[in-house]
Amino acid sequence: MVSVLELSSNVADALAEVVQRVQRSLVVVHNGRYGAGAGVVWRLGGYIVTNYHVVARGELRVTLPDGRQTEARLVAQEPEWDLALLQVDQADLPGVLIADSRALQTGQIVMAIGHPWGQRGVVTAGIVGGQGKVETRGPRSRQIAYTSVPVIRTDVRLAPGNSGGPLVNAVGAVLGINTMIVGGDLGVAIPSHIVDGFVERSLGDGSGSREVSV
Amino acid sequence: MTSSQSPTDNLLTQLSDAMAAAVARAGSGTVLVDGRRRMPASGIAYASGQILTANHVVERDEDISVTLPDGTQVPASVAGRDSGSDLALLQIKGAKAAVIESAPDEARVGQLVLALGRPSPEGIQASLGVISAVGGPVRTGRGGLLERYLRTDAIPYPGFSGGPLVDTAGRVVGLNTSGLARGASLVIPIRLAAQIAETLAKHGHIRRGFLGVRTQPVEIPSAQQSALKREQETGLLLVGVEKGSPADQGGLIVGDIIVALAGKPVADPDELLANLVGDIVGKAAPVEVLRGGQPHTLQVTIGERKS
Repeated sequence: MVSVLELSSNVADALAEVVQRVQRSLVVVHNGRYGAGAGVVWRLGGYIVTNYHVVARGELRVTLPDGRQTEARLVAQEPEWDLALLQVDQADLPGVLIADSRALQTGQIVMAIGHPWGQRGVVTAGIVGGQGKVETRGPRSRQIAYTSVPVIRTDVRLAPGNSGGPLVNAVGAVLGINTMIVGGDLGVAIPSHIVDGFVERSLGDGSGSREVSV
Repeated sequence: MTSSQSPTDNLLTQLSDAMAAAVARAGSGTVLVDGRRRMPASGIAYASGQILTANHVVERDEDISVTLPDGTQVPASVAGRDSGSDLALLQIKGAKAAVIESAPDEARVGQLVLALGRPSPEGIQASLGVISAVGGPVRTGRGGLLERYLRTDAIPYPGFSGGPLVDTAGRVVGLNTSGLARGASLVIPIRLAAQIAETLAKHGHIRRGFLGVRTQPVEIPSAQQSALKREQETGLLLVGVEKGSPADQGGLIVGDIIVALAGKPVADPDELLANLVGDIVGKAAPVEVLRGGQPHTLQVTIGERKS
């Protein structure tokens, strides 16, 4: 049998490794005087996913994992799902591993990595608390025909500054983008398969017909 | 990186998989209980056709329904309830849910646990934490006394009352309720909940004795302890005796200090409550008091407290 000390230090090592892997793709998204949120490099080419509400107004700048600041361009946005796609002129930023959120299970370990209250790269851990749907305000253009979005509920503690940051599984692959805090304790994330669909459509390499305003 | 492990197979993923499996396993015995005006709550498939839940979430006596993990909705009736421990036992007919398994060992502070609930048909919900305290006995109001209780830092989401707290193998450690400690979340250890459920299944309620006294703990001087012929540092001073009550009829008066009931020493109010539960109700029992510094024994027929 593995000793408690050995077991917990092995788990701690695994955790630290996972966190390091994710932090190489984690950025801070600044929107002028309107505050800051988190973002994650979704794929090569400098493409960064964050929350729409983080970039809704203000002048966009991004702090890269190595600490440098750079300008960012808004490529696409989806207010109903609270998603935005940015691009920075750093084509070689490593993209994060992406998990298939359709296979997630209630009870599995997850970690949120972001900048709660402005503290850089803070990790909070918990589990997938449940899966559900959240009503959106409904279609605002003829091309959009949905009224709800699937969400991952978690018991991970989130704070302002976690918005737009990744929710990752035990190997550090992104399961979702943390978007809001419900009832103080209950975190909600947009599943990665929804985010990936948004990114694919935004870059024009998907088969989706949904219009994305740019 | 120095690790030789594949990124998809570390201890964290093994723990993660184990916890997801625990939720799936215990979730198959966690049901939705619809018995109040507000949102539904949760319940535990405790035995074949029996659902254990929190009493405070079953506001109605009729028109109660239980939704099983597979989505089947079945009518339920109240087989028994006890507000003192906030437990209710429901009976469902026809349908069956997978019966939960109890954790074999006592809960320990620091142990990893998952709180489960099924307040919506969308699916099982869970939160993670540790056992943060083991305590008891604690008075719960209405004559109730929990011999033992647990606390956890796992977040009790709305509708989690009546659902299970499980270990990382999916075995039930206790039943979550926010109805015992002024809205704060408390966990009734499963062994204690099971004992109460047995009584509820047999009698429909927990018989709690009634004396009709108001008491206050007081120290017993050493001279009076020698008169008692035992070391007992405290007793219960009677500061009020209700007229016509069992205590009044048995001859207890204000100023008496209760030191024993039915042969068991009574040093504080918790011990009095603990001794007043069960078969003693309705029977004559010897009450030992100190009166004028001398021990006296009076026969009191224990009444039954109305819930």
